Amino acid sequence: MSDQTVTIDYANSLIYELQKAFWDERGKGARFRTTKVGNQYFEEKVRPLLQSTEIEDIIEKIGGVLQGEGIAANVSYSREERLLKIGVKGCIHRPVEERMVAKGIEPFTCVPANLIVLAIEEKLDVPVELAEIKVEEGTCQLLLVVFEKRPSLD
Amino acid sequence: MEEYTLTDATMKVIQDRRSIRDFTEEPISDKDLDMILEAARQAPSGENAQPWRFIIVKDEAMRKKMGAIAGGGSGRRFTAEFVTKKMQERFATLQDEAKRQAAFQKLTSGQVSTFMANAPINLVVCGKKDVWDTPYDTSAAIENILLMVTALGLGACWVIAPCIDIRDEERIKALLDIPEGYKAVSILSIGHPTRAHKPRPRLPINELVFTEKWGDPYYKKEQE
Repeated sequence: MSDQTVTIDYANSLIYELQKAFWDERGKGARFRTTKVGNQYFEEKVRPLLQSTEIEDIIEKIGGVLQGEGIAANVSYSREERLLKIGVKGCIHRPVEERMVAKGIEPFTCVPANLIVLAIEEKLDVPVELAEIKVEEGTCQLLLVVFEKRPSLD
Repeated sequence: MEEYTLTDATMKVIQDRRSIRDFTEEPISDKDLDMILEAARQAPSGENAQPWRFIIVKDEAMRKKMGAIAGGGSGRRFTAEFVTKKMQERFATLQDEAKRQAAFQKLTSGQVSTFMANAPINLVVCGKKDVWDTPYDTSAAIENILLMVTALGLGACWVIAPCIDIRDEERIKALLDIPEGYKAVSILSIGHPTRAHKPRPRLPINELVFTEKWGDPYYKKEQE
């Protein structure tokens, strides 16, 4: 495998164009087809570190991974009952979201959010839904809904 | 029995179609099911690829599982819409507060999609991925199905809830052993309606059709 790397500007440019193409094809439905983007990264980098079934511990662990890998400078969170409010500061993919907003498109996918959703769903076996990505000054504010239980298939 | 010209009969079937979510326990006859599937088979497809495949699910336990997946998906999405206040904006013109709350409850709980567990048949529409136009091709087949269902005096609802989010689609595919080369597109719940349903409102046609270029209405006045 080549050890050649590409610039983050190049990577973000491609991610933006892929997202925009997906939006153009699928509109608001695009968000539901990208809920597992980041899954391979989750399996390789995040899952092995997950021990606790406490949501706060899970988010702190993911925040640590993202910081350690230089993907985000800081991940903060607060919880109000079933609502989980996550702040992602200094994310290297922020320019993608900014370009979406500049085009008048509400950002619909976020890898840190997906990692958190995948982790909570796996460790707690409850559904989680990313409700909103707000691109604010310096920070992306994510709103997640954590449900009490998964509908039984038995 | 009333007699119609072919044109009138076609339009009547189109206009009589409803999204039916309440079904009696009466099963669908094999003869009716044959007609429904033949209508699907006759749909147009890009390059005549005919990428559709269908799974007829009658087993009650399986239908309940599919209903649970559909309800879970709907509940998640509508709850997200509710907590961000977008649902309240969408229903802003509904003045009756009790009806508003009932609608919010039905949507956020996922009940809006769990009904499929009670349909005598859930017809799963799958689309081959390795063709150009699967979403369009399968949608044409689905509309043919819905029209034939109506013509037969049956009812159906086109349910996308268990397939729209990739997480739910993976559950449906695993449940039904759908291979990787196929996409679970939608599920059609089919049965005998418990009652007649009124038509849902439609946008006036003069808002929908332009002449030559976008913007200049083809119909200058609202058509009845």
